[in-house]
Amino acid sequence: MNVVDLLITIVVVTILVTIVLAVITYIAYKLRLARQPPEDPELEGDLRYFVRFLPPEVGQGQDAHATEA
Amino acid sequence: MRRRRGILASLLVVEVMVVATIVFILWALRSPPAVQAFLVRLVMVSLLIFLAILFIRYFALLWFAYLGHAERNVFGEAKAGELPPISIIVPAYNEATVIEGALASLAGLDYPELEVVVVDDGSLDETLSVAAQWEGRHGSADFRIVTKGNGGKAAALNTGIAASKHPFIFCMDADSRLEPQTLRKAMQQFHDPSVGAVAGNVKVQNRGRVITNLQALEYIEGLNLPRRAQGFIAAVNIVPGPVGLFRREALEEVGGYDTDTFAEDADLTLKMVAAGWKVVYEDTAIAWTEAPENWLDLVQQRYRWTRGILQSLKKRKGLFIRPFPDFPLWLSAMEMGFEAVIWPILNVYAHLFFALVALLFGAGELLLYWWVLLTLLDLVAAFLTVSMEEESLSLVPFALIYRFFFILFLDVVKTFAALEELFNLGMGWEKVRRVATTQVTH
Repeated sequence: MNVVDLLITIVVVTILVTIVLAVITYIAYKLRLARQPPEDPELEGDLRYFVRFLPPEVGQGQDAHATEA
Repeated sequence: MRRRRGILASLLVVEVMVVATIVFILWALRSPPAVQAFLVRLVMVSLLIFLAILFIRYFALLWFAYLGHAERNVFGEAKAGELPPISIIVPAYNEATVIEGALASLAGLDYPELEVVVVDDGSLDETLSVAAQWEGRHGSADFRIVTKGNGGKAAALNTGIAASKHPFIFCMDADSRLEPQTLRKAMQQFHDPSVGAVAGNVKVQNRGRVITNLQALEYIEGLNLPRRAQGFIAAVNIVPGPVGLFRREALEEVGGYDTDTFAEDADLTLKMVAAGWKVVYEDTAIAWTEAPENWLDLVQQRYRWTRGILQSLKKRKGLFIRPFPDFPLWLSAMEMGFEAVIWPILNVYAHLFFALVALLFGAGELLLYWWVLLTLLDLVAAFLTVSMEEESLSLVPFALIYRFFFILFLDVVKTFAALEELFNLGMGWEKVRRVATTQVTH
């Protein structure tokens, strides 16, 4: 095998191996993504340092006061 | 379920393309010698056309970039009295490992009056407590920390803009580090009242590994070179997330950042160009950023960039068939689409096709000459661009594996991302892991 043939082989193999590697990495990325636990909609927007204040719903127990006329 | 269907559909399209290519080659192999000779000639012509497109693209970029480089600093540096105050917005989500370095670089800026608004976007790590230690005056900057429920980067930036007060707004990432002169250099471009935004020069900080050195070269040759060329005609199409200075008036006119794409920087830039503002590039306004250090994180980043850019373009579908009256916007969008999607897909397909033809028809020498030409071109372009940016010449040898490995690898990922966007597959904002490569003392 002369130098030109060797270089041709290197170029062709590099191209094909790179494409295969890229496809494998893309699939690995997708698998990593699929393995992540799904986002809990209950936790969405939760803050670590603050407690979200939820006002009591009107009509629940004696805390709800009717406006006096 | 929808995601799985989308992946299958993407893989199906790729498979069809590969199978069609193989069937064509097998058919060609069984054809009479005259037909085979014709096909080899056809492949030669295709190679030459591909090469010609690549050469034209490269030389146009290099020429305009050179012109942009030659006329830089035309306004000269602004004096302290001429420097208007700037609000710096730092959106941060789970950036505890890197945000201190970013804030320390802001405290060291050489600029007379600054306001820093750190927007904690509902981080689940120590970002808020780390940032809170910086509240108050540091150097010439007043630091304020704002926190909100997690809503994405665009919403965090809008919150910061609403909470800020100065007539110029600098947006950056929480993993970026600015040079002391960055804001002074960027501000000099606003001598022109029609300039709405200045894109700065992003450089890779964490060098030393092959993957980060390749990205360092890519930022210089693949990202900054087009930006420099676009800057010459004042139509930069992406003001990058780590370093962008905006006129508040322009930002407010276009309504700030939209929250419906994953490339809020590209989307905002297109909105500004559409509104008639000039968007320019300042190569001496430097921000250092942390590049992904492993291949999976790199895939994740480029996947998001490509889909985000496509989402921005999809919002302006009608534009592609109407170059007038808004020609600068049409040009920016076309260039963005070509660089982000059309060229990568063409590049992958061409490499695959030429490699298979070389193997099966014995046209290997053609492929080798093609490779030698492209690699020489890459080496020259790398040398020129690295020299223009006064960067280390040790990056130039990486041009040897830049196109046939690194760019091809990224283009395959971009092809998949483009296909997924085509099938409207859902996606989430998955964060690239941060490593924190520098120590900060304050």
